[in-house]
This record gives sequence, structure tokens and C-alpha cells, in this order.
Amino acid sequence: MTDGENQTTQQTLVPTGTGWERELYFDDDLSKHPVVRELRAVFPDDFLDAVRFRNETTIYVNPAKFREIAFYMRDHEKLQVNFLSDLTAVDMLNLRTAPRFDVTAQIYSIPNRIRLRMKASIDDGMSIPSLVPVFNGANWMERECFDMFGIFFEGHPNLRRILLQDDWDEGHPLRKDYPTRGWKDYPVYNKERTIRRTKTRWTGRGV
Amino acid sequence: MEPVKTPFNVMDSTQTEYSGTLMVEDEHELASGERVMTLNMGPQHPSTHGVMRVLLKLDGETVIECDPMIGYLHRGTEKLSETKRYAQIVPWTDRLDYTAAPQNNLGYVLAVEKLLGLNAPERAQYWRVIMVELSRIASHLVWLGTHALDIGALSMSLYTFREREMIMDIFETFCGARLTTNMMEIGGFSRQLPDGLIPQIRNFLRVFPSKLKEYTDLLSANPIWLARTKGVGVITPEAAISYSLTGACLRGSGINYDVRKADPYLVYDQLDFEVPLGQFGDVFDRYLVRVEELRQAHKIVTQALNYIENDDRPMMAYESAYVMPPHMGTMTTAEDMQRHFVWVIKGFSAPVGEVYHAIEHGKGEFGIHIVSDGGSMPYRLRLRTPDYVNLGVLPHMAQGAMLADMVALIGTIDIVLGSVDR
Amino acid sequence: MGLIDDRFDKNIFTTSLDFLFNWGRRSSLWWLQFGLACCAIEMISASMARFDLSERFGMLFRSSPRAADLMIVAGTVTKKMAPIVRTLYDQMSEPKWVLSMGSCANVGGPYDTYAVVQGVDQVVPVDVYVPGCPPTPESLYYGILQLQNKIIKFDTIARKEGKGRAEDQRVAERQLAMAGIRG
Repeated sequence: MTDGENQTTQQTLVPTGTGWERELYFDDDLSKHPVVRELRAVFPDDFLDAVRFRNETTIYVNPAKFREIAFYMRDHEKLQVNFLSDLTAVDMLNLRTAPRFDVTAQIYSIPNRIRLRMKASIDDGMSIPSLVPVFNGANWMERECFDMFGIFFEGHPNLRRILLQDDWDEGHPLRKDYPTRGWKDYPVYNKERTIRRTKTRWTGRGV
Repeated sequence: MEPVKTPFNVMDSTQTEYSGTLMVEDEHELASGERVMTLNMGPQHPSTHGVMRVLLKLDGETVIECDPMIGYLHRGTEKLSETKRYAQIVPWTDRLDYTAAPQNNLGYVLAVEKLLGLNAPERAQYWRVIMVELSRIASHLVWLGTHALDIGALSMSLYTFREREMIMDIFETFCGARLTTNMMEIGGFSRQLPDGLIPQIRNFLRVFPSKLKEYTDLLSANPIWLARTKGVGVITPEAAISYSLTGACLRGSGINYDVRKADPYLVYDQLDFEVPLGQFGDVFDRYLVRVEELRQAHKIVTQALNYIENDDRPMMAYESAYVMPPHMGTMTTAEDMQRHFVWVIKGFSAPVGEVYHAIEHGKGEFGIHIVSDGGSMPYRLRLRTPDYVNLGVLPHMAQGAMLADMVALIGTIDIVLGSVDR
Repeated sequence: MGLIDDRFDKNIFTTSLDFLFNWGRRSSLWWLQFGLACCAIEMISASMARFDLSERFGMLFRSSPRAADLMIVAGTVTKKMAPIVRTLYDQMSEPKWVLSMGSCANVGGPYDTYAVVQGVDQVVPVDVYVPGCPPTPESLYYGILQLQNKIIKFDTIARKEGKGRAEDQRVAERQLAMAGIRG
């Protein structure tokens, strides 16, 4: 690959691959993945599984150790997984019976260019340790997660709704049992309207 | 039917109190005897770039605490995407960051292609690069104009929107729409290039460097601009990483992370460009980084156009089962017509699995996380928009800043509220 | 009796003054700078260098609703934003007009979801709807021309909302009287 001048220090770390195989550890054999190897050794009970799909690594961890593992990877002197790309949740209601939610964190190592997906499964009503002590950027992502799914993050400094109103009482919209249009109609209060709106809503779609 | 109790305030024009909208606390005293004022800024404020609201606690002119309140444009795109088939979602991605619609299209389309294991032909990839870089220029021009307008250089927006109209014309020639382009398709481009497109892009490329010089002449040595931006809103490299910043906010602090270099996605590894880095991490450095990105985008478009100009290879991966068959085949052969029918009515079934794909958006890392259950619609589509995450640093930046600098701080993050609220 | 009936309801003098006022109103519409979503970018484009909406139509954008008399609702109105749109509308001084720009503001557009109000006319009375997603600046031009045609017919003495009702009542009374005469 053609690198700029400022990429010289990292050039040695980049493997030569084609297509999507641009990650540092692109071998499909997960036992060779350094993060997986390291975590298996250090957290034998809490490291549950590792899955490889489309050259992406997904690791499943014990939700109780969610924060500790993130801490460990961030402060590890060689791994340096120091960047939280994204944190979200997936409602697995239609795919399995229990537990209900998958809290998913996309973490990335800027020096080593490792992209990882860390997942922890929790049930409805359970809480998961917040990642705010590890990454400040998790603050708003967890607030959004709480807003959209109702997942409680333990130790979050300011866990309240962010996208919807503070007094939104219709539940959490991104749950699978929430209809796309919501539970309630919006009250029409424009008294000066003289032409009635025609009912053109087609109800066979969505929901 | 009894009336449903609304979760928000019933809005009657005769009613005088709107407790749902204004929650400004009363003034109160600090321990030192100073009075703290709470000031509400927005949501209808000209320099919040849309509908954002910021609650500020002020000690005199100094901001003690800042609480950005977003969500005034939350439209439920993620929820809506779960009810649409893969190829149908592209128009909704236009409306995330509406100043750079092709980039959103590209992020989504690349994520779906990654999920499907599909690669677009090389010519389509080059044209994607050209369109995306043009849209990066357009997005940065909107940012430059409005940011300078907020700080006081009113005429900048007149200059930048003048060049932006040229890019809008190019988009209109290419795909028929100015702003919400709906340009990218899964598998490449299904239509031929229109006549007159390449001379139009050439004309823009010829004109743009001199115009860029006009902007920098107006701003880079302007004493008011320097006084308003230098040393304001400093983000240290550690804070930038910890707050998950991406784009110019991260690179302005000197961290070298550009998805185009770190995890090259289209043909960016075959193009020659540089990633500008800032030194001090203040507003002025981020301005310099973005202006340099304009130059680099110009360079990339020139290279890509030189390479691909006289190419007439196909632009669509028609051999794949996941794309719509060619129009000619649909009209002439039964197999293609059947495939077309099934594709339009039922869509295609994606493999089971989940992917995350990130691209370097004009504002930072734009990531799409798709969870597929094997159906024709995504089970979950997560939109990791750059400005939502970048905006999270505003309370950190605003702490101890002056009230007048708040508009500079909001402008320097380069937010677009459609992308923040989704 | 039939010839001069209803001929003196409107005073000739006030009608002419109305025309003068309306001519002034339509020629210097000050609009509330209030961008909600994508359409706001097209609205800004329309007012910037190439399309130059503000200079051509004598329009000027104001940041304060108190100084504005046209509200261009440019973009999606969400349930969180709707109270604020209404507050801004209430803060504008009479006479005031609302132009709904784009599909989202007209009918909710592509966002048929839990968070979006399906049309800004559920919140404020709308005078002109401009379709498009987003409308091009030319469409906005056309919408404003239509609004100007509407403003020139605006009646100051009969209130905007009360006029139709008064007219209906007058017609009903007259029909009743006519029925009485004939019957």
C-alpha cells in the first residue's frame, strides 16, 4: 500500500493483503489472534467465545467483567486497544429466548490497528458496568443505549435520556416489541385548520 | 374513546407556560458569594447549526458547566431501517448528514457489500472515490462558511456557497439530485455516465485552487479570526482519544488516525495523498487541517479522474446474485426478468452474521454496524455517526471557556444535526 | 333590492388601504431563520450567492421571531421540536405566514416513525406547501411567489381566521332570509 510520510512508523505493522484483509491479524485462525490469546490466558472464566466473520473478530465476555476487560486491553503495553469506536446494543428478542440484549462495543487500537467487537449478553432489567471510566466517549453512547433500549449502565455519571424527551413515557423505541410508529398518536391541536387531513396512512407496512 | 394522556406538554396557543421546553434553573449563589447564571442557548439559535440546545452555567462571562441537549431532530432512522430491505435504506442515509450525502451512501453500501462479500468493479470504485471526495469538499465548504459566519466573517459563506453550487451541479448531472443524492448502489453504479460530466468536473478542478486561495487569504492572516480561534478550545491528544473523537477533531490534536490510511477501503491505497495533522489541538489547527483536507481532496479527485477518464469497463457487479440485473437483460431475457421481479418484490437474503464497516467521512469515522439474521431486512442497523460522538467533547471543551467562544467551539466540531440525532 | 344587496359590506377606502399594506408586506417578507433539517441547507443555498433569494424578493432573514413575519418550516418536525415550533409561531407578530418546505414538513415525508410529527400543519396553520425532498431553490422561489399572490389578497379588517366563518354565517343568514321570503 502507498503510505504518506507520516505513516512510516506504522508501515512495518501493516500486512500485505487484498480485499478486506487489512487488519493487522488477518489470519482466520483465532487461536493466533493476540488479543484472544491474551484474554484467554488472563480471564479464563470470563472470556466466553470468539467468532470470526468477514475478517472481523467478535469476542463474547462475561458482562460482569465488561469494564475490567476493557481496562485490561487499554492498559496492556502491547495490545493498546485504546479507542472506543462505538457502543450500542442489539435486541435479540426474535433470535433467542434469553438473555435479551447484546451490548456491543467496537474497540480499536490506533497504534496496532486491531479492530475488535466486544459483546456481553444481559437480560432485561440487568445492568452492565459502564465503560465511562475507561473511555470518556462512552458517556453519550451509553446514554443513547439507555434511551433506546433501557439498558442500565452501572457507574454511569449521568444516565438519562438524550435523544427523546426527558418525559417520554412510551418506552424504549429500538426494542423489537416497540412498533415503528410508536404507541400513541400525536395530538392535533392546530385549531385553525379548516381542511381536514385525508386518511392516507397505509397500515400494512412496517410495525 | 377517552383522550390519551400525552407524554409531553399539551400545546395550546392559549396556554402560556411550556414547561417541556424551558427548564432553565433559577440563579443561585456559589459558596464564594458569586452569582451563577444559567443561560439557555437554542434550539432556535442561528449558530447552533440546526436545532441543538445548550444549557450554560455562567460565572460572569466564563462557562462553568455546559450541557448540550440534542435529539430535536431525532427521526428514528435506525428503527425505520429495520423495516426496509437492504437496497431501500440508501435514501435514508442521505438524510443523516445532508451536507455530504454521497459519503453516507458509501458508508452504508460498503457495509452491505462487506456483509454480502461483494466487490464493486474497479471503475465504479474510482467513481465512488471521485464523488465522495467532491462531497467532502462540499461538506467542508458548508462548514467553512457557517463557522466563519458564526465567528463574524459574514462574507465567507457567500464565497464558499458559490463553489459549492458547482459541486451541486456536478451531482445533479451525475444522479439528478442536488442534495439528497441517493447515488451509490449496492454493487456499483447501474447507469451510464451522463454526457458532459467530465468536462464539468474538470472545470471545477481548474477553478477550485484559486478559490481556495481566496478563502485562506481572507481568513488565515485575519487578526480577528486568529484572535477568535488561536488557543481556543484546546483538546489534548489524550482527551481526544479518550473522547473517541475522529476526523479533524482527532487529527487537529496530532493523532494520526485516518480510516483511509489505517484501513483503506476503496482504492485509497492506490492514490497518493497525505493526512494533515495539527499541533496544538485548538480551533485554528482544526481549521488548518480541514483546509488542507480540501487541497488533498482536490488532489485525489484529479488523480482518480486522470486514471479513470477514458475507461469504459462495466460499473456494476452484474455477475453477483445480490444486484439487480441489467436493464437490457430485464427487457429481453426471461431469466433476468424473473430475477428482477424477485429482487424488487422480495429483495435478497443476506448471509447471517454481523459486520462493522467504517469510512472516513468528512466529519470523522462513519461506521455502519449491521446485524443480519439471514432475512432481506437488517435485523439491526447501527449508525455510528461521527458528529454525535464528536459533540460529546463539547462539555469538556467549554469548561472554563468564555461565553463568546461557545459559537466557535460548536462550529469547530462541525456538526450537522441530522447526523447527530439520526 | 337585488342589485345593491351585499355591495356595501366592504368599504372601498379600507380595501384600497389593504392593497397598499399588502403590497408592502409581500414585497418585504422577513423570514425567521429557522432551519430544522436537510431543507435548511437548500434554504441557505437559496439565500446565498447564486440564487440570492433575499435580495431579489426584498426578503431578509431574522433570527428573532418577534421581527419576522414569515416562518419557513424547513425540515422534519419531531415530537420533541413541535412545542418549540409552536412557541416560535406564537411569538411572531401578526400578520404572519407559514411556508411548509419539503415533504417532511408537509406530511412527515419518509419518516413515518415514533418520533416525527406527520406534518407541521398539525402544529401551526400553513399557508403554502412546497413539495420536494428537499425542494430545490427554484421550488422555494415558486412557493414564495404563490405566497405573495396570497398575501396581496389578504384582508386586514376581517381577521384571517374569522373571515371564512363570517362569510359562511352571512351566506347562511341570507339563504335563510331568502327562504323566508320565498316560503
